[in-house]
Amino acid sequence: MDLGIVEVQQSFEEEVCQAGDAEELEKIRVRYLGKKGKITALMRRLGQVPPEQRPAIGKMLNRLKEHAEEVLASRLEELKSRLSEERKEKERLDITLPGRPFQIGRIHPITLILEEIEDIFVSMGFQVAEGPDVELDYYNFEALNIPRDHPARDMQDSFYIDGEVLLRTHTSPVQVRTMESMAPELPVRIIAPGKVYRRDDDVTHSPMFHQVEGLAVDRHITMGDLKGTLLLFSREMFGREREIRLRPSFFPFTEPSAEVDISCIICDGSGCRVCSETGWLEILGAGMVHPQVLEMSGYDPREVTGYAFGMGVERIAMLKYGIDDIRLFYTNDLRMLK
Amino acid sequence: MKVPYNWLRQYVEIDLSPEELAERLTMSGIEVGDVSTFAPLGERVVTGVIETLQPHPRAAGLQMARVHAGNGYFEVACGAWNIKEGDAVALALPDARLPDGSVVLEKEIKGTLSQGMLLSARELALEVAQEEEGVLVLNERHPPGTPLSEALFLNQPVLELELTPNRADCLGLLGVAREVAALTGGRCSPPTVELVESGTSVEQKAGVEILDPELCPRYTARMVEGVQVKSSPLNLQLKLLSAGIRPINNIVDVTNYVMWETGHPMHAFDYDKLNEGRIIVRRAREGETLLTLDGVERVLDPEVLVIADAAEPVGLGGVMGGEHTEITAATRRVLLEAACFHPANIRRTARRLNLPSEASQRFEKGVDPEGVILSQDRAAELIQKLSGGEVLEGILDNHPSPYIPPVIHLEAETVHKVLGYRVEEAEMVSILEGLGLKVKEAEAEENRRRRVFAVEVPSHRRDLFQDVDLVEEVARVQGYHHIPSTLPQGVITSGRRSRRQQVLQRAREILTACGLHEIITFSFINPRFFDLMQLAEGDGRRRAVALQNPITEDQGVMRTTLVPGALQVMQHNMNRRVDDQQIFELGEVFMPGAEDEKLPHEREMICMAVTGRATATFWGEPPRQVDFYYLKGILQALLGGLGIGYELEEPREDEFPYLHPTRCGRISIKGNPAGVIGSLHPSVAEEMELRGEVLLAELEMEPILEEAALDPSYRELPRFPAVLRDAAFIIPAEVRASEMLAAIGECGGELLEEATLFDVYLGEQIPEGHKSLAFSMVFRHREKTLTDEEVDRIQNKLEEEMYRRFGAVLRKL
Repeated sequence: MDLGIVEVQQSFEEEVCQAGDAEELEKIRVRYLGKKGKITALMRRLGQVPPEQRPAIGKMLNRLKEHAEEVLASRLEELKSRLSEERKEKERLDITLPGRPFQIGRIHPITLILEEIEDIFVSMGFQVAEGPDVELDYYNFEALNIPRDHPARDMQDSFYIDGEVLLRTHTSPVQVRTMESMAPELPVRIIAPGKVYRRDDDVTHSPMFHQVEGLAVDRHITMGDLKGTLLLFSREMFGREREIRLRPSFFPFTEPSAEVDISCIICDGSGCRVCSETGWLEILGAGMVHPQVLEMSGYDPREVTGYAFGMGVERIAMLKYGIDDIRLFYTNDLRMLK
Repeated sequence: MKVPYNWLRQYVEIDLSPEELAERLTMSGIEVGDVSTFAPLGERVVTGVIETLQPHPRAAGLQMARVHAGNGYFEVACGAWNIKEGDAVALALPDARLPDGSVVLEKEIKGTLSQGMLLSARELALEVAQEEEGVLVLNERHPPGTPLSEALFLNQPVLELELTPNRADCLGLLGVAREVAALTGGRCSPPTVELVESGTSVEQKAGVEILDPELCPRYTARMVEGVQVKSSPLNLQLKLLSAGIRPINNIVDVTNYVMWETGHPMHAFDYDKLNEGRIIVRRAREGETLLTLDGVERVLDPEVLVIADAAEPVGLGGVMGGEHTEITAATRRVLLEAACFHPANIRRTARRLNLPSEASQRFEKGVDPEGVILSQDRAAELIQKLSGGEVLEGILDNHPSPYIPPVIHLEAETVHKVLGYRVEEAEMVSILEGLGLKVKEAEAEENRRRRVFAVEVPSHRRDLFQDVDLVEEVARVQGYHHIPSTLPQGVITSGRRSRRQQVLQRAREILTACGLHEIITFSFINPRFFDLMQLAEGDGRRRAVALQNPITEDQGVMRTTLVPGALQVMQHNMNRRVDDQQIFELGEVFMPGAEDEKLPHEREMICMAVTGRATATFWGEPPRQVDFYYLKGILQALLGGLGIGYELEEPREDEFPYLHPTRCGRISIKGNPAGVIGSLHPSVAEEMELRGEVLLAELEMEPILEEAALDPSYRELPRFPAVLRDAAFIIPAEVRASEMLAAIGECGGELLEEATLFDVYLGEQIPEGHKSLAFSMVFRHREKTLTDEEVDRIQNKLEEEMYRRFGAVLRKL
């Protein structure tokens, strides 16, 4: 006896396929599985089926009902996860419109370089020390082996407050202040970033600029250690492939003294405009702490040695950012800072 | 210091090219800044010999010279009359390019072809001194046709030394030659002096007296009689020119020549102008005057050392000579000075009188006290050769304290200890000896356990004092490339920033996250800003530390506030049409110390300034202008982010005169004043030409450093639900939000977790002179769930209290 099971199943599946949302699906459920639903009606007619066919047909009907419920449930899931066409259109965005602007402030390029330098030396075990900008002549010059009327004072034209007080011309006084406060403790490993002042004002000189001083004092410090430290620093700062070279020079507070060049970061040493075709860029001055300075600061030069170095932050920033006028750092043009 | 390559080669053999030499010198600490060409000239200017000289057939002012130029003869028209047949001259062949860029062409002059041009010194751009203007006549014979540049060494390279102040010995070519010899293993040969002295002793004619031996440790004089003053021979003049010195006459040129050669400045006096022929070296008397060679009348004082005759000063010792006794064409007798002066005194005098000279530069760095005799002899010899005079016998040598060479003890091990690598002892000794130092084994007693050398320092290297100085000599002559790259041994230290630096870093992070850009301005400002800020006469911020010698008044005093710097930056940017600005600076201000303190107090400050639009252009909504609450929000973020509580109070009337009187507040932390926030006073803004409202805040770092919590702390999360309540009150307009919040806090007690002001309303439904403030409150008990009744009780109490204190009425929302 044919109850039309196949037809019912077919029409059910077609309708489910066409259903656009949960509401339609519910209607279908009622239409087939509700009290007056088509599948429910088929079940009711099972009594009219001859007894010998009843178990097989009954089984088929049960399977149909189960199947219908499963299909409805999975279809409902499917529909729930999709938005209606109407809603899709209504809520459509032009994703190419610009986003809401959030402004992140910028850290000044000099601060960025300072922090980078600090990070490198901090990772090498240096502490960050500081000293005053307005400094005693004693710390700025005399304790650094530069007595009054010494020609070396010409290397640094100073701003004076009075005969004894001036704006520090370099960060080197922090060397002395640090050693004075630490002696005889060992080892000393510090860097001292800060502002310094000289009476100069042109494209390559600013009356105020920044330096970072470095100092290490211990029992067996050699000039080789100075070279190694600066090589490591240069590679961290300017790239793995940097080489450095030391040239003899003169600073009253170091002996031996050296100017330190790095292989040009623009041309890698082959010669270009930035390095004046030399392949080298001078970036810092360094040397072994002068015995007199050690002694004046409370260390015994027969027992300990030390190295010191000082670098100009603006010089490094100019090289790194390709800026050719130092004064740009202090006009604080927001178009540049951004 | 200019070092003409060919001149230098007179004293030392050099196997290196000029560029190699420059490199070698630079790498040993004598930095060569530049290698240039003395007076570049092309091949088409050659030497020629005038064969015949005839008047030009048609031009009266010209003559025609037939010039032999090696490979041929040239007919050249010439307007100068200082030449004769047989003269060697500079001939520009057709197509020769002259130093001024012009090109000499073959051309017809009044019907006669002129095949080139006879050149004057000026046309060759050589500033030689000549008795007669006209064609340059060469005083040495060269094969005709030799390029002039070759004959006169015009194309020779000139090395420009950038000497460090310790290497005064290289301010003379002999010193450089000595250095080159030490570096290359060559031999340095000083000039040999061939001097013929007359029978008369100098002592019969002149006398030297030093009254201040501290300022003048040595003074020597020689005399030459019967000189004829004229211009020097061309080759000597060219040598001076190649070193950058202007030739003057054969006497002065010789003193300059000898200075360049030996590094020792010399001076020549016209002996007949010296009263009693006597030299007295003394301090000037107060008010004495001297007309110096540059034509300036100088008023002197006892700080200045003068060279005087029996009556009056005739020169500033070591700095500049006097005009009255200078060498002129009429000079017949010359007194030559070679002396040593006190470096610091020379330096002071040269600086005070603003008279830096080649001489003072050398004396202030220290000259070789033993070098004076050679310089005297050399100068006398040359003057005799060039001006035909007669050198009197002997040198007046006043030398109160002769030079005793110091001996430095150097342990061989020290070289290793300082440099980090071993140098063979033999190598070390040979380097030091190469530099002219005498090296011996030290006395047996010192030498028992370690190898110690006794090194004698010659008078020309007075920059060497102690063993490390010798270590540097060894290292630099070997080259610093021998130094290995090692890292310090020993205990490991933990590197870190100080707490102060960490707080500053955090502050910077927060402020940039709030959209502020960091600026850095000069620590000095124009004191005019204190007027602009309308600070009262007695305001402490006016007591700024002033610079004695600022470059400009704009950098006249050390700042006592960061506000001027920020305003200047705003002005600068506004002038460049950047109207939206959000900036901050972290920096020090400088407050004068107490009477007994030499240094000012440096205080770290934060300054923030905003103006214009808070947000960049966005299509979705109109731009928002910054206002007081915008900056206050940033202040909250900053202090909140550092875990610091603060209060805002009404300032005194004169406290911040540069701010809007009713739009500013004093910030205090833990009850102590810590800064200010407010709107820039409209009149200040106008003066600075700042358009729109400018908001400013300035904060002291000190209390922030003290209070800042860098490490976050943990509080247990609540386990029981909260009850939320909102309430709006209508209150008189003058009641402060902070007072209301404080009252809510009191009433809420422990159970009130948080109260937030979420609305301020004025307008419809609110009576005149009133406003509505709405608060949302969160109530919570730590140990149990609160019931509505419990919260109602609190709220009722709150409403009563609000009415009692402020006359506040609950507004039905």
